[in-house]
Amino acid sequence: MSRLRVVIASLLLVAVMAGGAFASGELNAYTIMPEKYASQVFEAFTAETGIKVNFMRFSSGEALARVVAEKNNPQVDMILGGPADTYEAGIKEGVFEAYRPAGADGIPDKFRSKENFWTGIGIIPLVFLTNTKFLADKGLEAPASWNDLLDPAYKNGLQMADARTSGTATERIYSLVKILGEDEAFAYQKKLHQNIQMYTKSGAGGAMPVAMGQAASGIFYIVDALDIQQQGHPVVISYPKEGVSFGIEATGVLKGARNLENAKKFMDWASSKTFAQLLVDRKINYIPTRGDVEVTNPALDLSKVSLVEVDVTWKGQNRKAFVDRWINEVIK
Amino acid sequence: MNRPSALSAPEKVSPLKRDPALLPALAAIWISLAVFVLYPVLRLFLMTFMVEGQFSFANLGAVLDSWYDRQAFLNSLWLAGAVSFAGTVLGYIYAFAVTRIPLPSWLKWFLGAVTTLPLISPPFTSSIALTLSLGPNGILLKFFGIENFSFYGFWGTWMSETLTYFPVSFLTLAAVLSAIDPNLEDAGLSLGASPGRVFRTVTLPLSTPGIANSVLLLFASSLADFATPLVLAGHSFPVLPTQAYLQITGLYDLRGGAALSFLLLLPAMGVYALQRFWVGRKNYVTISGKTGSRSGFKSKGKLAEGLVLGVCFAVTAFILYLYSLILWGALVKVWGVDNSMTWENFRYVFTHGRKAIADTLSIAAVATPLGGLMAVVVGYIAQRKRFFGTRAMEFFSMLNYALPGTVVGIAYVIAFNEKPILLTGTMTILVAAYMFRYHAAGIRAVIASLHQIDPSIEEASASLGAGAARTFFRVTVPLVVPAVLMGMRYLFIHCMTAISATIFLVSVKWSLLTTRILECMTELQFAQACAFSVVLILLVFGATAVLTGLTRFATRRISGEGGRG
Repeated sequence: MSRLRVVIASLLLVAVMAGGAFASGELNAYTIMPEKYASQVFEAFTAETGIKVNFMRFSSGEALARVVAEKNNPQVDMILGGPADTYEAGIKEGVFEAYRPAGADGIPDKFRSKENFWTGIGIIPLVFLTNTKFLADKGLEAPASWNDLLDPAYKNGLQMADARTSGTATERIYSLVKILGEDEAFAYQKKLHQNIQMYTKSGAGGAMPVAMGQAASGIFYIVDALDIQQQGHPVVISYPKEGVSFGIEATGVLKGARNLENAKKFMDWASSKTFAQLLVDRKINYIPTRGDVEVTNPALDLSKVSLVEVDVTWKGQNRKAFVDRWINEVIK
Repeated sequence: MNRPSALSAPEKVSPLKRDPALLPALAAIWISLAVFVLYPVLRLFLMTFMVEGQFSFANLGAVLDSWYDRQAFLNSLWLAGAVSFAGTVLGYIYAFAVTRIPLPSWLKWFLGAVTTLPLISPPFTSSIALTLSLGPNGILLKFFGIENFSFYGFWGTWMSETLTYFPVSFLTLAAVLSAIDPNLEDAGLSLGASPGRVFRTVTLPLSTPGIANSVLLLFASSLADFATPLVLAGHSFPVLPTQAYLQITGLYDLRGGAALSFLLLLPAMGVYALQRFWVGRKNYVTISGKTGSRSGFKSKGKLAEGLVLGVCFAVTAFILYLYSLILWGALVKVWGVDNSMTWENFRYVFTHGRKAIADTLSIAAVATPLGGLMAVVVGYIAQRKRFFGTRAMEFFSMLNYALPGTVVGIAYVIAFNEKPILLTGTMTILVAAYMFRYHAAGIRAVIASLHQIDPSIEEASASLGAGAARTFFRVTVPLVVPAVLMGMRYLFIHCMTAISATIFLVSVKWSLLTTRILECMTELQFAQACAFSVVLILLVFGATAVLTGLTRFATRRISGEGGRG
């Protein structure tokens, strides 16, 4: 009996143990930016400031769900990366701390939160990513218009993101609504649906099937499409002549951050020219929001691309209605 | 519960008075269940049903109004039914081959080893191998010249989940089948029954607790699995756990997700009740302490054996093929583009992934023995000490398992992120999440194996003057050791591979291998994801081999003791 008691007591002891506090001189972050990029960014930050960064990567929805759930006891000080609309949704939940970083003046207003809750660090337009073997087999050119994707040759060949889970997918809807008008945009998507093989949960989920030739083509953020191309897969990136919208990758400080000063230091650094130059030098495929660095990768040269400006607040206001309409009209 | 008992029947002493050790054990279990099961679920239900301080069905109503969510509900039931049926049949065939057909021991080991592959790898890894084989332009489709096979949706999900979960059924059923005394089957045979009739009227009915157990486990697993449908179901075949996950992570709607998971709870509870009703009423005692020596198993007929082995070999070959794809993916530079060999991906795993590997192993090493202990105590009390509250205790022990992992994860975050119980960011919360979610298999196994052990053995110990704790540790525990080890193995495997609940609980201090693999997949690092999977599989395989060895050793000891009895 005493043995049983001892074992159970130790069981409870372990169960009730609480965690230790975070040491100072550190910075804890969630990153929505892919781990392979975020690790380079934080390494560079540590090299410059000596502040050690603990970080963890999540999709935008998960990161937001976490910071909202952890609101009363924030586990991290800041978020790096992820679309600005995610931050807008977080502002409504009151999870962000306003801070105007030192380099704010170098970043156009449209790439920053009006109340300084987030700062845009890079922009990423949508692109078409198409398998070149597929194109050769069918004798087609890379799609150059939204209408090209309606070609029956693409039947059962398109993979793109599901609007309920992916910021990439809602970006696609924003693009279409701005170009075609709302009703036309949904009529178009209904037609497009005929050619869909699968809607993937994550924004980049369809890129690998396109690379492997399992799917013919899809619509992705440029950062994912370029990644696939740089890995050496037979794919081609193209833009629709009607235009595409773009996402703003942001960063922001959380309310109640335990290492507030360090988080602010990161914001200052992330808004600086040094950081923008780092993105270019390390081939991190975002187009810096600062205009004072030269983008060397020709794939990121957007001078010939027709970009559609979409207000972040408008995105946030319409998101739910568009997603509901997508569920009830497009995929039904 | 009435059973032939010379000690308790005439006196009607309360079990608490008879076993003084019971009270502290019960108190400890109830406290831990209250903290780690009841409290988070309560907080979650408050979130589902309280809208601005008022009790309301608004959140649930919104879910029931949506055609897509209603479809998801039906799909979930259909999928879980199909998976639990196919998985149990396949598991039974494997268990039968290993326990009833005289195979060389290395072949048994080999069959067992291969079936653990799907179990010890995260489900989305095998999903990718399946997609490459049977998805659009898949390798196998090209090989067999099949066109227009719609893989995404029901078929792909069903196949992947059946392959992932049938080993659970195999483990459960093998334990039960090997515990059935072969003398019973021999008696049937020598009375002139055909092998088929003996199987139908002796073996099959005696394995009912195992079958019910397996169906329940598989149904619940499929019902709660979100990772497989996430990759394979697509938009055309929505299921509830994925919908709940999407609702939370995609639409930032925690309340909607909670409501969806509430819907999911209903069928899970239904199966649970059915299982209690079905298994609880029959007597399956075959280890009574009175048996003679066990004879070997007789041949079951050439045709039946050939059929059973044929199925086993085909499925085993298919599994090996799928996992060699993953190994291949981990070893080449760029799949399908640059097929030259490289160790680069493994180097990445042991540099970028070292922390995740160390964290995962520590968490598993703590959760596994604690969960095993908890399982044996809860299982024992639930099966042997029937009195007020034990059914509730058993129910709450299983609750976290029946709830979809995503919901458990979110419930834990809501419950343990503020005082009085502040646990987010600690190792404790991960250990607790795994333990209270995956000790269910251990509890089930302990209960199922206690069903087969006559209480008179324990009563003999008590009548010889041993106290309740001494009887428990010296008599009951050794008899259920194979079941506990099976449960611990299951727990360990899930500590290493499960993701749905813990993806919400990992922190900058404690990370997990599975979340790193999922990250690699979403970040398009296919080769690195494969390499991580290979490392994870090797780690789990090594650890489970040790536990399997222990199980086999313990089973042999029990059989030996039964013979002497």
